[in-house]
Amino acid sequence: MFSQCRFAAVLAAAAILSTTAAEAQPAKSKLDDVLSRGRLVLGTGSTNAPWHFKGADGKLQGFDIDMGRVIAKALFGDPEKIEFVTQSSDARIPNITTGKVDITCQFMTVTGERAQQVAFTIPYYREGVGLMLKANGSYADYAALKAAGSSVTISVLQNVYAESMVHAALPQAKVDQYESVDLIYQALESGRADAAATDQSSIAWFMTQNPGRYKDAGYGWNPQSYSCAVARGDQDWLNFVNTALHEAMTGVEFDFYAASFKKWFGVDLAPPQIGIPVEFK
Amino acid sequence: MELGPFLNELWIVRYILLEGLWRTVSISLLAIVAGSLLGVLVGLALTYGALPLRWLMRGYTDFIRGTPVLVLVLASYYMLSTIGLQLNPFEAGVLALAVFCSSHVGEMLRGALQAIPRGQTEAAKVIGLTFHQAFIYVLAPQAIRHVLPTWVNTAAEMVKASTLLSIIGVGELLLTTQEIISRTFMSLPFYFFAGALYFVVNYGIERFGKYVERRTTIPS
Repeated sequence: MFSQCRFAAVLAAAAILSTTAAEAQPAKSKLDDVLSRGRLVLGTGSTNAPWHFKGADGKLQGFDIDMGRVIAKALFGDPEKIEFVTQSSDARIPNITTGKVDITCQFMTVTGERAQQVAFTIPYYREGVGLMLKANGSYADYAALKAAGSSVTISVLQNVYAESMVHAALPQAKVDQYESVDLIYQALESGRADAAATDQSSIAWFMTQNPGRYKDAGYGWNPQSYSCAVARGDQDWLNFVNTALHEAMTGVEFDFYAASFKKWFGVDLAPPQIGIPVEFK
Repeated sequence: MELGPFLNELWIVRYILLEGLWRTVSISLLAIVAGSLLGVLVGLALTYGALPLRWLMRGYTDFIRGTPVLVLVLASYYMLSTIGLQLNPFEAGVLALAVFCSSHVGEMLRGALQAIPRGQTEAAKVIGLTFHQAFIYVLAPQAIRHVLPTWVNTAAEMVKASTLLSIIGVGELLLTTQEIISRTFMSLPFYFFAGALYFVVNYGIERFGKYVERRTTIPS
């Protein structure tokens, strides 16, 4: 009995020793894997303009794709060294946790629940709901829509929360729900709705596609942050990606970020102020 | 709905759509062929196998047939990677569909073989045919005729089930269509067009089945 106990104690001690020995060696980071592989495996979607979608040439493009390019450029000095894994929105977290992708950039809203499963990078865009009006319509802006009360009709994508979402900005407006994005724009175009409520990025994209026909009502609500996500527990890799994104928004790659922003959202960004870094102002 | 802009877009994406259609056809073909071959083995084991093998196959068919195809697709993509088998989405999808197909074909074949009166097997034995000869010359020709109509049905189901592979990112016809819609915002005409293409594929399978049925029917 005594000898059995001692045997178990020796085993336990050996186990502890071997784990500490393993920990003493620096753990290999995803960063090293990606560098030695020579390309970034990027998880993203293919069906949402202007985030990730295919052009008429069948190639992936969009703001999420450009964020992947920023990271690939930081890794290899070549923004094209990316292997895309197209995935549905449902597959974003499973593909990270099972190691199918190095990183996912797919208009992923940061939430506390998700942050328990994957590690989010710093945000690269702040999404919100906006209102799109016809450029020559009878309402000038958000204030005019709100003043008109119950006489305005808002077209919105069908959703359990659609009604309360619109009423958060326009408490008395009539809400018409439609099944697909093209139909909410059509409702606005045909005059069945006075404004279309949808993601501001979608509005910005639609306006760049149809210049001069529409305008933004100038009010945004329902803020949410979009971040890339990586597997938990690899701080080295997370730091690297954060650095790449951070320098795209504030440093050496700002021109790339700004050109992409202009291309997909039609907005010119002012360069970050020189002097004290914007983060510390 | 004006037709002009749609036809214009359709022309621009013609090769992309064809590629999606081809991927749907190749997924379905691979799944049907592999699933049918595997299914024949399952069916034979279910009918003639030793008791433990029969129980094993019974468990297999009941388990697979009772599982939604989507779950099989996700399982073969995600669960196999946890045991070290890294399949790409296309391979994982074909595997899931083939396994699903095999359970159906196996069960169909079992039913068809068991529907043949025992007397025929006994008569074959009496005239000195071995089991293999009896199967090839007496049982299989009849079983194939029984199985064909339901097999055509299963093949068409496989084509439809291939749409589920879009979830794991296989660029088959449905995902390709969704990609085109996200750029053009023409959801109704492109979904309608994709529906028509699926119909053409399934109608082709149905005609092929009818043709084989005609060729194998016993003239009366």
